[in-house]
Formats: sequence, structure tokens, C-alpha cells
Amino acid sequence: MNQFRKTMLGLGSAICIMGMTASAQAETLKIGLAGPATGPVAQYGDMQKIGVMAAIEDINKAGGVNGMMLEGVIYDDACDPKQAVAIANKIVNDGVSHVVGHLCSSSTEPATDIYEEEGVLMITAASTSPSITEKGYQMVFRTIGLDSLQGTMAAQYILDTAKPSRVAVVHDKQQYGEGLATSVRDQLAANGLEAVMFEGVTSGDKDFSALIAKLKKEDVDFVYYGGYHPELGLILRQSAEKGFNAQFMGPEGIVNSDLAKIAGDAVEGVLATAPKSFDQNPVNEARVAAISAKGEDPTGPFVFTAYAAVEVMTKAMAATGSTDTEKLASHIRANAVDTAIGTVKYDEKGDLTESTFLVYNLHKDGSKTPAQ
Amino acid sequence: MTTNKFYNAIFAAGITFILACLMIGVKLDTEGTTLAVKGATTEQWMWIFGGIGVVFLSQLFSSQIDSLFGKMPKPKLGALLPEEKKMATLKPWLLAALITVMLIWPFMVSRGSVDLATLTLIYIMLGLGLNIVVGLAGLLDLGFVAFYAVGAYTYALLSEYFGMSFWACLPISAGLAALFGFLLGFPVLRLRGDYLAIVTLGFGEIIRILLNNWTAVTGGPNGISGIAKPTLFGLEFTRRAKEEGAETFHQYFDLSYSSSYKVIFLYLIAVLLVIFVVYLINRLMRMPIGRAWEALREDEIACRSLGLNRTAIKLSAFTIGASTAGFAGAFFAARQGFISPESFIFIESAIILAIVVLGGMGSQVGVILAAIVMTILPELAREFSEYRMLLFGLLMVLMMRWRPEGLVPMKRPHLELKQQ
Amino acid sequence: MSEFSLYLLQQLINGLTIGSTYALIAIGYTMVYGIIGMINFAHGEIYMIGSYVTFIVIAGLVSMGVVSLPIILVIALIVAMFIASTYGWTVERVAYRPLRGSNRLIPLISAIGMSIFLQNYVVLSQGSRDVALPPQITGGWAFGDPSSFEVTLSYMQLMIFAMTFITMTVLTLFISRSRMGRACRACAEDLGMTNLLGINTNKIIALTFVIGAALAAIAGLLLGLYYGVVNPFVGFIAGLKAFTAAVLGGIGSIPGAVLGGLVLGVTEAMTAAFFPSEYKDVVAFSLLVTILLFRPSGLLGKPEIEKV
Repeated sequence: MNQFRKTMLGLGSAICIMGMTASAQAETLKIGLAGPATGPVAQYGDMQKIGVMAAIEDINKAGGVNGMMLEGVIYDDACDPKQAVAIANKIVNDGVSHVVGHLCSSSTEPATDIYEEEGVLMITAASTSPSITEKGYQMVFRTIGLDSLQGTMAAQYILDTAKPSRVAVVHDKQQYGEGLATSVRDQLAANGLEAVMFEGVTSGDKDFSALIAKLKKEDVDFVYYGGYHPELGLILRQSAEKGFNAQFMGPEGIVNSDLAKIAGDAVEGVLATAPKSFDQNPVNEARVAAISAKGEDPTGPFVFTAYAAVEVMTKAMAATGSTDTEKLASHIRANAVDTAIGTVKYDEKGDLTESTFLVYNLHKDGSKTPAQ
Repeated sequence: MTTNKFYNAIFAAGITFILACLMIGVKLDTEGTTLAVKGATTEQWMWIFGGIGVVFLSQLFSSQIDSLFGKMPKPKLGALLPEEKKMATLKPWLLAALITVMLIWPFMVSRGSVDLATLTLIYIMLGLGLNIVVGLAGLLDLGFVAFYAVGAYTYALLSEYFGMSFWACLPISAGLAALFGFLLGFPVLRLRGDYLAIVTLGFGEIIRILLNNWTAVTGGPNGISGIAKPTLFGLEFTRRAKEEGAETFHQYFDLSYSSSYKVIFLYLIAVLLVIFVVYLINRLMRMPIGRAWEALREDEIACRSLGLNRTAIKLSAFTIGASTAGFAGAFFAARQGFISPESFIFIESAIILAIVVLGGMGSQVGVILAAIVMTILPELAREFSEYRMLLFGLLMVLMMRWRPEGLVPMKRPHLELKQQ
Repeated sequence: MSEFSLYLLQQLINGLTIGSTYALIAIGYTMVYGIIGMINFAHGEIYMIGSYVTFIVIAGLVSMGVVSLPIILVIALIVAMFIASTYGWTVERVAYRPLRGSNRLIPLISAIGMSIFLQNYVVLSQGSRDVALPPQITGGWAFGDPSSFEVTLSYMQLMIFAMTFITMTVLTLFISRSRMGRACRACAEDLGMTNLLGINTNKIIALTFVIGAALAAIAGLLLGLYYGVVNPFVGFIAGLKAFTAAVLGGIGSIPGAVLGGLVLGVTEAMTAAFFPSEYKDVVAFSLLVTILLFRPSGLLGKPEIEKV
């Protein structure tokens, strides 16, 4: 309750301050921030919010863009595809034409149809599903690597470094997890390593003993898991209890300090592909300090991708001297730009040309170190 | 009596304290990787004790409060309507006015409101469909969302693989949903109420899991995207026509392009569908089959002894309800342009059921009203969105306690004998 | 033993473990249904609250410096049962008692509302994230050939079996031997008549809710310790499965609930063992539908006689 009131108060005062600066300045430019502010994945929405708000603050401090001050407007889609469409319509309705978001791929996907038609520039900082950029849309970009890139990374590591004899690929039957798992399986198979098992589990399930017994029976020595930390945490914990000791590997969705809380010691040595920790990058030192000073957490995986999304937009505005989204889109496609996540360059589809993922070793205290 | 009351109030306050203490008063928290507990802040404790105080006082003065509420007249929404005779003459005019307003309204308001209205209309359709099953036939269906999913996926798949148009798919979606209703209903309608509830619930889950697992056809959790939008006699509502040489709506009528045409067009389709469904159900209710549904709900044994075929009647209600959900599903897929199994979870079934119950089981006006309340209220109360589901649950409990007959209780067409 | 039969044995142990906890939760459904003929949809949430209370007590005691595991577990069990029972009692008092005697759908909808309410109450007070507890009871036996397939039976699984067995025995004795138990059976037989005979049926109904909630709290403690994770949404899924188990075994029958729970647990484990595990729930629900079609009142349920 307290938390809620605090946020309300904060939000209220923020709006007041924004209102005041708005009246003081000649013009403001609204940046829509679409993502979950409520619902089970609201914590990821918070990361996005922290990044976007920090970026807006920094840019405004430096005098804004083309003489305009930026203003972040929060739109809550609760990661529900149905609400995402309603929110997208609302954004168009409010005359906002620059959006950072949405967060969940399943929400981003239906929303892009609307943005493309209405000429709203959208940069997602968290949706990794390849199909989002496959429709040939002009207005859709992202500041995060694709699932398939992460899959390639993982498959390469498995083939070159881990070199297991019997691999199992397990996923959580969700867009993100299954997409990654399929990509890893296919690339392993293309290089002559057939997965002995490819299986889905139910997300939200708690009992994986049957699956573990099956893995044990198949003598699996390497498991790639496509999905998020709650299920993998339980799989690790139950594997340790049942004496099943294979090497586990997962995508960036498992890189969360909660994984160590759930699985305990079993986390030690688990492999994960994850974006470079941007908050560890010395370039971002001042930004990390500023965010920490506000009592917010700068370490979330989407904080700096969201920060960079704002930068990509505003730098294109500064370079073209306009806010026209068609001009911006073609400028972003054509030019590389320096951001908090490094130099960003786009291909025709609106995807990053360079993968920003690395393979990490996870540790039981929740930290991670780059794997050899 | 008073001392008794006092003890009662103390007891209630004590229970509240126990309930609040361990859930609100103590919060689980993790420090590093170990679990720890954290006490509530002073402010939270004040809230807890405030709540305990309220419970204590309300128990202490419960009889006074009850009598106070007893004096207050229950809101009678039905009484707002004019008398029956006047109603008969007024009704066509009222309806005509209402429909005109519904048709003109979208041109005057913003795109967001029209879109929200479209969403509301989808829920109205779903509510009306479930109303037949639960409200009229008295069959508790907890997996109604399955038929909604069947409708949505039918259109999405036909459009994706065969490029069929929305208008051709609409009847097919409804028909296929009806077929599923028939196939499910045939074996399970022999079961008693509560078993029926769990079987339908299970069926809803099975459909969702199958859609999620059948990746080769349904795209699994990726869903289906790029579902074609409805067209007006072949005229598209996009900026540029998809096929060479074809004309879009604004080119044909020589208007400048505006994206809100599409939103308004979708809304108008929804209005037409709802009017069609309302009309159809209204007629059905007055037909022998509609009477039979209600009769069966009231007394199954009496109906059977009067020679009514129990299975056929239940099955017809189930099938017609399912086909309405199929309609709504196809339309939902068209509005959304993208569907995935995530949109068809149990909570959706629960919300549709809540619409039917809040509206007043069996009452069409009530269901429409409840659907509007249920979709608009959360939009208005976005700031309270954290509390939205909490209040939603509480509302369901309280409604059942104080107004189990719903917002607008059902009124059957009936004759009253005047007392001599 | 061959590798295959060892594998089968392992999956049977896994299935019986999860089945036992389904059974504990299912008893709450079945007792309430047996007496007042309503589905207490909020029962799964009581189980979830039981798990949370267990975690809170364990974390609290550990931070206070209590180290003896048996003492911690006994205190956690008592507190969890007490709190969960209070919740069960209150839910009955607030959401169901005022509705007694109305249309059958009314209390059911009130129950669904209560379930949504409790779930979100915990979301707001404890957060929606997973809360994890480090393993408390570790170790176990392993037998079979380590080079081919090793069957493991952890102490935790053994504790689940033992607790379920003890609880069932105590409950059966209570129902069949005690005065209160006799009153419970009388209520299940004919509520109105029991009332006429001078038994306070309201008290008996409240008692069934309290017993059901206490059993759910035991399940909450056992599963909480076994998986080590709880979030506000576990109650819904577990409740759904347990309710399926209750219906499978014949709702209203206590041995039926136990049998249904075990059958469901083993079916799930065997499905996951030989088919892709994502079809686990499909098979579980299909089994339910099939059994109901051939035995409309479940495995051990009494066929309902329609009365005019």
C-alpha cells in the first residue's frame, strides 16, 4: 500500500514538475513509454521506465532536442495483447508519434500493425521475437538483439567449447523460450549434433521430477533451456536433489538474481547468454550513478537498452532537424549512432546488425562472469 | 444482548488482526540469497489497525447499520423504465434512437474511445452467448473461452492459409464453434451441474494447451499475426491497396486517407453483429425452445415428465451459445490482427461469467450493461489498476450477498391478473 | 531390475509424491461438497496462504536464531494450520454462509470472486514474484545401478508420504469415531434433519471448512518445503488439479479424494515419462472427462438419486 502511495505521489509530483517545465518551455515532445506497469511482469516494465526516464532527464538537462524538451508519457499494457492494441490506439489518439516499447513480444506484435499504419516510430528495448521485424515495417526498430542471434551464440558455444555428447533442449512453450530452443536445436543439428530430446514444459509448473528422470534415463550431459528463471530455477534445484548433474545453459531470460534464490548452490556454473552488462561499462558510470542516486536499480537488463532507444530517436532528430517519423526512420536505417549500449547500426529490417550477447557463467551469489 | 454483541465485535476484530498480521504485517524479503522477513511500516500498521477498528465498530453496531440499509430503498433499475403499456409504444422509438446514436457517435469522438467501444461490444457478444448457456439454460460453463478461441483461430487460420475474407469466415467461425459446442456437449450434458463446470473448465484448458502445442499449424505460442482486416465489399481500409490495381476505401470514395475510418468501420461491424445477436436471442427466447431452456433450468424432473427432451434442449443452448462466442472470436481476431493462446486463458472465462452474473442471469439488458461497466470501469480507474482485480473479486462476492439477481433482473414477458 | 523397470519405479515415486499432496488438498473440496454441495473455489488459495505462512515462520525463526530443524518445522506447521484455518473459517462466514439456501450458482460465483480476491490480496501484500526458501530437508536414498539408472527417494518425499498417511489416518478416525465426526456424517446425509435433531449445523459446516483449510495448510507446508518456491498464483493451479482429483475420485467421498489424487498424480508422471510433458495437463483432463462419462459420479462416488 505504502509503495503504491509513494509511486502515486511521485508520479503526481513528476507530472506537476513536467507540467511546470512545459509551461516554461516553448515546446515539449512527448515520448510514449508502452509496457507493463501492472501485472506479473511489471518488474521488467520498471526497468524500461527507469532507463527511459533517465535518458529523458539527461537529454533535457543538456538542453533538449532541437530546442524542445522531452516528456515521457507512460502507457500501461500489462503485457496483455488485447490491451496493447487499445494502448496503441490511445497513443495515436494522443498525438504521440515516438514510442519506446512495448515490452513483451506478444504485445509488441499486434501494436506494430497500428504504428506502421499511423507512422508512429517505435523502438522496442526488450522484445526479442524475430517475427516482429519480419513484416518489412519501416517504423519498427529495436535496441536489443534477436532471439535467433542469442540462439546462434549459444549453439556455437555448445559446439566449440562445451562439446557435449548428449544434448537435450527443453523450453517453456512460450514465444520467447520455444523460439530460442528451436533455433538452438536447428543449429546444432545443422552441425551434426542431434539433440536427443526436445521437449516443452508448462510455464508456472512446479514439479519437474518426471522430466528430470527422463533426462537421467537418456544420459543427457548438457541441457539447453529456453525460457525464464522461475522454471529453470526449480529444474536446477530438483536436479541437484535427484543427483542429475548435467551442464545447464539458458538465455538472458534466466539471468536474474532470483535464479540463485530459487536454485541455491545448483546455480554455480550454469551458462547463460546475456547482453553485455551495460551498467558495468565505464562509459555509463555517470548514468549508473545518477540512476542509483534516485534510489532505482540500474542493473536490470532492459534499463540501458531503453536508455539507448531514446538516444537513437533523439540523435536522429538532432541530425535531421525534424521530428517527422519517416525522415527519422530512414535516417536511423542509414546511419550508425553512439549510444549507451555502444555503436548501434541497423539493417533493412530494423534489427541491430551486431549481436551484443556474451556467454556468462552464473554464480550462486547471483553474480556472473564471462565464460571462457 | 449488548454484551453478546460486544464479545462478537471483539472476536471479529481479533480474527481480522490474525488475518492481517501475517500477510500484510510481515513481508517476505530476500537479502542476498537468504530469505528474511520484514515488518510492515508504521503506516501499514496504521492501515491494519484502522481496518480492525472498522470491523469492530461495524460488528458492534451491525443491527443499526442493517436497519439503516433496510430503510434505504434498493436501487430498482427496472423501475426507471416506464410502464409496460407505455413501453410497448415507446420501445420502437427508443430502439431507433439508440441505434442512431450508436451509429453517429463514433464520428464525433476520438479514435481511442471508438476502439474501447469496439472492445466492449466484443464482451457484450460474449456475455450474450454465455447468458444463453448459464442464464437461460442454467448450465454452468467455466470454459466458454474455448469457443471464443475456436472462432478466433478459425478466422485467423483460414485467412492465413487460404486468404479467405472476413465475411466468408464469419459464418464458418460461428459454425465451427457451434460444432465444437455440439461435440463437447453431446457426452457431457448428461453430467450434473458441478461436474459439468469442471469438465467445461478442463475443456477450455485442453483447447488452449492444444493451440499452444500445435506449433506447425497454429504457430504455437507465437500465435498468428498479420490477420487480414475486414473489407467493405472488397474495399480495403489501408493507405495503399495490397494488390495492384485494387482500390482502397478512400480512393473509391475520393476521400483523403484517414486511419480512423478503419477503426470506425470495425466498430460499425461490431454494432451490427451485436444487434444481430440481440435480435436472434430475443426471438429465440420467445420461441418454444427458449421457454424450454428456462423450464429446464427451473425444474428438470418436471420437464422430463412433460416429455421434453432434456439432451436436445441443453445441447441447443450449448451450441447456440458457442456459436455466438465463435462470432465474437472471429471479430476479435480481425480487430487484433494478431492472436496467441495467451488471450484465451481461464480468467477470461471468469470475466465473461462475471458479466453474466453481474448483469442478472438471463437478462439481456443487464448483460449489456454489465459488459459496459466491466470494460469501461477499469479504463477509467487506471490509477487504481493495482487494485483492479482485488476489487473485481470483492465486487463478485458482495454482489452475490446483496444483489444476487444482478443489476437488471430478468423480466419475463408475462401477464398479471388484476386483483378484483 | 532392468533399467526400464527402475525408470518406471522412479516415475511412480514421483507421481505418488505429487499425488499425495493433491489428495491432501482434494479432501478440503470433497468434505465441503459432501456437506453443503458447493465447490469451494477459494480452497486453492488457502493452500497458497498456508505455504506463505510456512515461509514467513521459517524465515522469522531462522533470523531469530532458532537452529533446530524439528522445532522450526513443528512451529511452522502449527502456525500455518492455525492461520489457514482462520482464513477458511472467515471465508465461509463472509462469503458463503449468507448465501446458504440460494440458487446453486450463487455461492459458486461468490467462491470464484473470493479466490480472485485472496490471490490479489497476497499479490498486493507480498508481491507477485517467486519467493524462494533454501532446501531444509536434504538427502535421500539412491538405489539401482549408478551406471545405468539410479532411483532416488529423498527424505522430503518420504516425509510427504508419511505426513499424508498420518493425516489420512487421523482424519478417518476422527470422522468415524468422534462425536463431531458423527455429526459431520449426519450433515452430509441430510442437513435439514440433522438440524432438527439439535445439532448446530452451522458449527459443523464451519468445522469442515476449518479441517479442510488445515489439511490444505499441511499440503502448503509440504509442497513449500519440497519445491522451495511459492508465488501468489500457485494456489489456482494446485486447486484446479486437486478439484479434478476430488471429482475423479467421486466428490463427497474422502477415500475417493485420496484415490483420485494418487491416480491423477501417477497419470501425470507417466504421461510426462513417455510422452512430451507439455501434454501432461491435456491427458489429466481427458482422463477426467473419460472417467466421468463412464462413471458419472467418479471412481468411488455414490450415484446421486434424483429426488422430486
